[in-house]
Amino acid sequence: MLRSDRLLAYAMILPVVIAVVAFVVGPTYNVATLSLTQVVMGQERGFGTLGNFRALAADPVFGLVLQNTAIWILGGTFLCVTVGLGVGTFLAIDSRMTGWLRALILLPWVLPDVVTAMAWKWMLHGQVGILGQTLQSSGLTEGTVSFLGDPDLVMWMLVIVLIWRKMPLVALILCAAIRSVPDDQLEAARMDGANAVERFRFVTLPNIAFSLTAVTVISMIWITAEFALPWIMTGGGPANASQIMATYIYQQSFEFFNWGVASAMSVINLFMLATIVALYLYVNRRSWASEESK
Amino acid sequence: MGSVALRNIRKSYGPVEVLHGIDLDIQDGEFTVLVGPSGCGKSTLLRSIAGLETITGGDICIDETVINSLAPKERNIAMVFQNYALYPHMSVAKNMGFSLRLAKESPSEINRKVNAAAEILDLTNLLDRYPRQLSGGQRQRVAMGRAIVRDPKVFLFDEPLSNLDAKLRVQMRSEIKELHQRLKTTTVYVTHDQIEAMTMADRIVVMRGGQVEQIGTPLELYDRPASVFVAGFIGSPSMNFIAATARDDGLLLDTDESLGKTPVALANGRGVIAGFRPEDIRLSDTGVSAKVALIEPTGAETQLVLRTGENSIVMTTRDRISLSPGDPVHFSISEGKLHCFDAESERALSGAV
Ligand SMILES: Nc1ncnc2c1ncn2[C@@H]1O[C@H](COP(=O)(O)OP(=O)(O)O)[C@@H](O)[C@H]1O
Ligand SMILES: [Mg+2]
Repeated sequence: MLRSDRLLAYAMILPVVIAVVAFVVGPTYNVATLSLTQVVMGQERGFGTLGNFRALAADPVFGLVLQNTAIWILGGTFLCVTVGLGVGTFLAIDSRMTGWLRALILLPWVLPDVVTAMAWKWMLHGQVGILGQTLQSSGLTEGTVSFLGDPDLVMWMLVIVLIWRKMPLVALILCAAIRSVPDDQLEAARMDGANAVERFRFVTLPNIAFSLTAVTVISMIWITAEFALPWIMTGGGPANASQIMATYIYQQSFEFFNWGVASAMSVINLFMLATIVALYLYVNRRSWASEESK
Repeated sequence: MGSVALRNIRKSYGPVEVLHGIDLDIQDGEFTVLVGPSGCGKSTLLRSIAGLETITGGDICIDETVINSLAPKERNIAMVFQNYALYPHMSVAKNMGFSLRLAKESPSEINRKVNAAAEILDLTNLLDRYPRQLSGGQRQRVAMGRAIVRDPKVFLFDEPLSNLDAKLRVQMRSEIKELHQRLKTTTVYVTHDQIEAMTMADRIVVMRGGQVEQIGTPLELYDRPASVFVAGFIGSPSMNFIAATARDDGLLLDTDESLGKTPVALANGRGVIAGFRPEDIRLSDTGVSAKVALIEPTGAETQLVLRTGENSIVMTTRDRISLSPGDPVHFSISEGKLHCFDAESERALSGAV
């Protein structure tokens, strides 16, 4: 009786297990072996080498890529969460206007990546972009600014567009968290003599701490996995100034056919993502634990 | 020092007025209980005093100073909330010391005051715990500790015991009362429970529909209720009401039987509402005839429901009863215990003494 129950249970989760093995473990294994394989012009030439990783270490572009990726992931996440927290705090105020804004703010979120990227690419264009022209005609700058053509500027421009696209959901999640902070705690703090800033610091923030960490880690994962936006807007240029992991992997594999090097980078990327996810699970587990001990 | 004076307080939420001009004087050190049914505006009034709500009209004074426009923290008032409203991420000590920390007092001073308050409330062993690790009664005491460390002029309590079980409620009731006797801080306490009001208050304010119905000491309200509402609200089981007609200084029922002497001189034939408490009824050989409908012994006393005509009458007695349901009885009302209310306005025509 018991035994057949258990067999039935295994039989029923079998499809999921197969799907995970086929679509997750399989490709991952494939990439991992590929990263240890010498590939020349798309042809496999011998397994069991660390040559791909050595090539990466020697590649001067890879250093730049790491630096850009740090700006992309860390800068992007930090700004996404801080701006999202500010906007979320504002949206949490009860009024008719914020009610409308809460709906409208999701607009950037529902647009496809490609549309967003193209729209911003043209708005930031050096000659015909509306932003540069506005700056010029209002006399703030001498000529038009080539936002995406300037190596010092381009990475930050990408981050700004990224914030525009990813921040709304962060803001909404934090807004919901802020609105669920018990009123009586805030009132007790008012009676205790806390001003608005102190109430935010000592009551609201601790109450939304869990949402805040979760949203931080989730943003990090989103941003690490984001590819279409930077690829379409700059393709990694000018001169690799906006080349990040995602775009460099794509370029190495589908433009230069360096499958091995691309796979090696994918493995590095995977380790980074895994670290972030582990962090997320850890934070998540910790807060479940504290829920239980209530 | 901490006397409170309310002058014609009005409060509207949009077009809806929920407080219709409240006047109240609270002496320094007095324990005042605001009591009334749910939704009558008790919390609103309390929160107005605290400064959490802005009033639409009138003046709130503490020690003869108008404080209408002061922020809550400038009023020197502490409030204990119904759901305790403890900060979940702070330990008991941190919760209690939070106001002092905001006031930039020195850590040693905060420590001293928190320890002193914890001593009074028997919380010394719990100072390092977090709110989620405490029982309901302990949380309640921490909430009170948070109020007393500040040594405010006035304590406000909004139904602080309604989340506790019955036994704990009785215990906390006496603890709060004891605390008040010890600290002698002016206290305004909101409850919808008339027993809490009767047992704790120096003075009770009965509210109804955003207005003050009657103000008095517990026994004044019990002995001389100003209206049918107060008479019915104070006392348990509540007062019996029955329509009667005045005739030759007696009150007659529909059946022409006499309830007793009118407490005041009334015009012959005037219709009134007669009221009398369950414990002021005596079974007797003469008097109003009735049938026993229900007998409920509770041990110390027995509660009987009598039926006369259309009316049900509740009486309590400490005597042992050998009646059974259906038995015919006669009852009368103890001398001077009959109340008389106007049939229209439901205001008392006079108090029985
Ligand atoms: N924020 C609010 N907005 C609108 N109406 C309110 C608000 N708070 C309370 N009220 C109304 O005011 C009346 C009094 O409420 P309250 O003071 O909470 O009553 P009580 O504490 O006596 O139960 C109720 O009718 C309630 O619906
Ligand atoms: Mg209330």
